Amino acid sequence: MIRRKRTQAAPPDGPEETFEPYEEFRRIPLPVYWIAIALAIWGAVTLWDNAQAVGVGRQERAEQIEETPAAALNSGAQIFEARCSTCHQPNAVGVRSAIPPLAGSRFVAADPAVVVQILLHGIDGPIDVGGRTFDAHMPSFASVLSDAELARVATHVRQTWGGDRQEITAAFVRVQRARFAGRGAWRGGEELARVVDPALGPQPSAGPAVISAFADPAVLRLVNQGRGEAWACSSCHGAAGQGGANIPRLAGLPEGYIVKQLQDYVTGRRRNESMQTVAGALTDAERRGLARYYSGLRAPSTAKPELGGDVSRGEQLALYGDWSRNLPACFSCHGPSGFGVAPGFPSLAAQHPAYTASQLAAWVGGGRNNSDVQLMNEVARNLSDADRRAVADYLATLPPVPAVTQERR
Amino acid sequence: MNRVIPLGILALAILAFATLMLVILPGIQIRTEAPTPGLRPYSEAELRGRAVYVSEGCVYCHSQQPRSLDQAPDGERGWGRASVASDYFYDQPHQLGTMRTGPDLQNVGARLPSEAWHMTHLYQPRALYDWSVMPAYPYLFEVKDKAAPGDVVVALPERYAPEGKVVVAKPRARDLVAYLRSLDRTFPAPPTAVRDDGYSEQGEPR
Ligand code: HEC
Ligand code: HEC
Ligand code: HEC
Repeated sequence: MIRRKRTQAAPPDGPEETFEPYEEFRRIPLPVYWIAIALAIWGAVTLWDNAQAVGVGRQERAEQIEETPAAALNSGAQIFEARCSTCHQPNAVGVRSAIPPLAGSRFVAADPAVVVQILLHGIDGPIDVGGRTFDAHMPSFASVLSDAELARVATHVRQTWGGDRQEITAAFVRVQRARFAGRGAWRGGEELARVVDPALGPQPSAGPAVISAFADPAVLRLVNQGRGEAWACSSCHGAAGQGGANIPRLAGLPEGYIVKQLQDYVTGRRRNESMQTVAGALTDAERRGLARYYSGLRAPSTAKPELGGDVSRGEQLALYGDWSRNLPACFSCHGPSGFGVAPGFPSLAAQHPAYTASQLAAWVGGGRNNSDVQLMNEVARNLSDADRRAVADYLATLPPVPAVTQERR
Repeated sequence: MNRVIPLGILALAILAFATLMLVILPGIQIRTEAPTPGLRPYSEAELRGRAVYVSEGCVYCHSQQPRSLDQAPDGERGWGRASVASDYFYDQPHQLGTMRTGPDLQNVGARLPSEAWHMTHLYQPRALYDWSVMPAYPYLFEVKDKAAPGDVVVALPERYAPEGKVVVAKPRARDLVAYLRSLDRTFPAPPTAVRDDGYSEQGEPR
């Protein structure tokens, strides 16, 4: 441009005394117009494109506002289908010798407080339903369903299978939530009958409480105070092992899995600078003690969908997989409801989406490669970016692992 | 130069237009924004730490503005949701930053809540990441023979620990860490909050 503007004011022949310097009037060169026009068009297009994008963003959020109350208006039947039917079966007949039926169960027909208390705290001990004893784990929904949602699903269950037409209100659930706030799971039918409703009749008792490594003071010191470069675990993983952002939830992971991961950090097979520093400063025995501690820990879920993923697509992948993409169901390996299968398959339920997604991305990028069987490498490669976010967000909506998933000894 | 006046007017007009579009209008747009629900004002110590953050020039290498998933995978990195204007209610001047030589710090308190970790890292980043290019800040710490009660002692690998002595955080380091730990805007942003929608695309984020 500079060149174009250079004056070629060649002086007339010979200097002239009377000459006054003057500027010739010259038109602006054409290319300058072109450039100006091109810039103007570019500006206009950018503005238009931006306005379009802003419109899209606003509209998506407006839809989100509309959806939220709609989601909150999920009927009890819908919540039952999404949250309970995978275990109790769609017709509530349960699974023989594993999961009790709701249809015809005394627990469902008893005082309304019983169902609500079971939903709020879960059950970890033996119970007797219809003359058969079950001893598995019912998860707690307190941290993943609101009072209103719990009220609706409890009403649905009681109206459909308990023969009681009375409606359970959110206010009733709120009172029940406050009643035993902070307690863990019910330790079986005996405790429920004793504390909540004697009409449940004779129930098997859970036996004496198991006091395991939980109380080991050396382990608790590592968890809460740390030692040297083994900064306190709780300072990152949270006081209850609940994690946050891309710090994983540890509560309820299988013991064997935790030991293996900590060892892999020490040997450098799994890479993460902070964890390599921490794990390297611990002895073998301490790593085992910590693994036992965290595998037995229960913590309410603090995870929530945060990656804008399509949660129903995530549910689809977790429960059924997608054979068109060669993806087996996540839960076929990670256990029904994503509660993990000891010792090798970690729990995924209530894990934080940023962590889940970052691990899935790490398998694709080669950042995580410490498993001998390498089952996840293939799975992660077959997930698209959107699927990765969808499944990570879905897993964050699940209730946390109900109980100790320690290997049985 | 016989058109000084029109040229001058034109230049001023361009400047005025730019000021209107880039300063005044956005100013009007965000002036009435209330703080995002969940955002709390900084405490005394956090404010002092913020002053350390500003004076040490952390902003030259660290941004404080996670971007939307339409634009970058910041959410998957654990850096948090895209920020909205009202997240910066208590930040004057804001520390948005323009460079990402290091990671975004808008939610570092959620991602790295450990005080002890930050102490080690500020004293000597290479003690954790041998590849880190972040400067060390030894002058925020002092080397003592013995820690006094109430001192925050920095945990260091042998290689970096002064022999027979302890490294203790000065108040400036403690304030700075208090500030870093307060950086946690992981609460949800209201759908109506003012934000950068310039990269939104139809459908799910890529
Ligand atoms: C992970 C599987 C699982 C899910 C999901 C689940 N339950 Fe259960 N539920 C169980 C198991 C196992 C027991 C028996 C507990 C035991 O043996 O200690 C049980 C027991 C119960 C009982 C008491 C026993 C009975 O049969 O009446 C009720 C009531 C109940 N669940 C309701 C629900 C409702 C409502 C939901 C959905 C919000 C739900 N459960 C979701 C596994 C599950
Ligand atoms: C400085 C913060 C920090 C501290 C302190 C810390 N962790 Fe971690 N931990 C992390 C992060 C971040 C990850 C995720 C690492 C990755 O991506 O591989 C992690 C991962 C883990 C994992 C792997 C979990 C999984 O699901 O695969 C285990 C197990 C673990 N930590 C145990 C511990 C224990 C036990 C302690 C205490 C001795 C501890 N951590 C202290 C930040 C920390
Ligand atoms: C074929 C069995 C299998 C399937 C199917 C499978 N996984 Fe895994 N997954 C594993 C194993 C084994 C590990 C433990 C990896 C290790 O030890 O390094 C694992 C680990 C993980 C982890 C790391 C957990 C942690 O705490 O660090 C995530 C996240 C995960 N899987 C997500 C998924 C998702 C999402 C799906 C479905 C799309 C899925 N997995 C399907 C076998 C499987």
